[in-house]
Amino acid sequence: MTIFFFIIAVLMVASAVAVVTFNNPLQSALSLIAHLILVACMYAMLDAHFLSAVQITVYAGAIMVLVLFVVMLLNLKVEQPKPIGLLYLGIGIAAALGFAVIMIPVLATVFTAVTDPIAPLNGTARDIGRLLYTQYLFPFEIASVLIFVAIVGAVMIAKRNHAVVEQIADQDTKAGGVQ
Amino acid sequence: MEILILVLKVFFVFQIILSIGSLCTWLERKGSALIQDRVGANRAGAYFQVSNPILNWTIMPIIRLLGGLGVINTLFCDAVKGVFKEDFVPEGTSPFLHSLAPFLATVPIFLAFAVIPLAPNFTVFDYQVSTPLARLDAGVLFILAMGSVSVYGVALAGWSGNNKFSLLGGLRAAAQMISYELAMGIAFATVILVYGTLDLYDMIEQQKGLNWGVLTQPISFVILFIVGMAETKRAPFDLPESESELVAGYFTEYSGMKFLLFWLGEFCEIGLFSLLVTVLFFGGWHLPFLQLPEGWWLSAVIGHGILMTKVVFFCVLQIVIRWTLPRFRYDQLMNLGWKYLMPLSLLNLMITAAVVLLRHG
Repeated sequence: MTIFFFIIAVLMVASAVAVVTFNNPLQSALSLIAHLILVACMYAMLDAHFLSAVQITVYAGAIMVLVLFVVMLLNLKVEQPKPIGLLYLGIGIAAALGFAVIMIPVLATVFTAVTDPIAPLNGTARDIGRLLYTQYLFPFEIASVLIFVAIVGAVMIAKRNHAVVEQIADQDTKAGGVQ
Repeated sequence: MEILILVLKVFFVFQIILSIGSLCTWLERKGSALIQDRVGANRAGAYFQVSNPILNWTIMPIIRLLGGLGVINTLFCDAVKGVFKEDFVPEGTSPFLHSLAPFLATVPIFLAFAVIPLAPNFTVFDYQVSTPLARLDAGVLFILAMGSVSVYGVALAGWSGNNKFSLLGGLRAAAQMISYELAMGIAFATVILVYGTLDLYDMIEQQKGLNWGVLTQPISFVILFIVGMAETKRAPFDLPESESELVAGYFTEYSGMKFLLFWLGEFCEIGLFSLLVTVLFFGGWHLPFLQLPEGWWLSAVIGHGILMTKVVFFCVLQIVIRWTLPRFRYDQLMNLGWKYLMPLSLLNLMITAAVVLLRHG
């Protein structure tokens, strides 16, 4: 199992790097999909089958399809890499160094590759459901309210644009009538 | 020995996938000719004579029969043509993505077969054989996940065709699959509520005798069957590849083996949905008034036969529907998905939940 862990880990890092380095937005989106599916593979290796299936359905399936839709419909152009200024280079190096100073001691203490499940899981879907509806009920409900707000917002935006379009159409017909 | 059993299981499942695929191809060819009285496919065959009299009286009748049934066309002519045709990649697109798309459309479908049990568990030479290739705790969800991944194949195929027809086909296909996935997810949730488990093997075992799922939840079955037809993108839901408007939709720019891969994926999806309907609603390998002894290898063989008979029945049903009904209009398609199937499945879910609560709570 360890060898599979390292293969998937290397691919995960590679696809994550590819997301930010590709100039073509479509290729970036596809790399992100690959990364999310690899995360699901990692969950599956830890016997968290439910989490793995949900990860693929929600992130790799639903959300990324919408991203891909936008990329394909807008037909985004390939971005030309801009020359990096000295100021940005300096800020980047400083940020990377700061991150390393904070993270390396933490990682050094906890860095052990978790290649096997720590505790045996039986009926993960049942366990997760029970936890969600008892111990974590409040965060769960808050999250659903958040999603509801997002849905209402999306409908509002769509409706408003629709009204504007109708207004313009009305003006056009009126203008046509005058002529 | 463990690894040997695993390898045999992989081969067996893959063999099932490919035979369902080729069986559906044959049924589609010959069935369409029979149903719509299509000239050509209903009379093609191997009507030639050879000069050797022995061959003429021994092998030739068999070849003529197979040719008349259209088996030779499906098994040999299609494959040879697919392999030897020029693999054309349109200009101005990524050749890598163009090649990747057919695989993304088919491989998830193949993977989904891995969690479906094809026969009851059995013991042979003191080895316990668990029949699903991977008996996951979240079996139904895995199939749903694979279904949502296969959207990428068609969307990418549409994009990498680099023309308007392909792109429109790809977008239509993706929109259709996403719309109908909602109703499918809710129908799955209803099924899970009734059986109280996500494991497909347990679901089958609960349908012993006459406790078939179709009797306890007929509405879920109807919803899932319609959604299955829509997910396979075939008539009356074949707007993504409607040949009168979009040439061939998202696979317009594909030729040779890549083109055949799309078709293989589509036929395997028919098989997958038939298998799913059989397992969830028609008792899998259970027949009323027939009790197979548990763990015996022969009962596994008989059970597999019963299961596959039901699967082939639903494959034939889907193909007959495909060649009988005309295509929907686009607004009808979206209305059916969002205004009828979605509310119906939600209502079904709520009523089922209330009944389950009353019975167990």
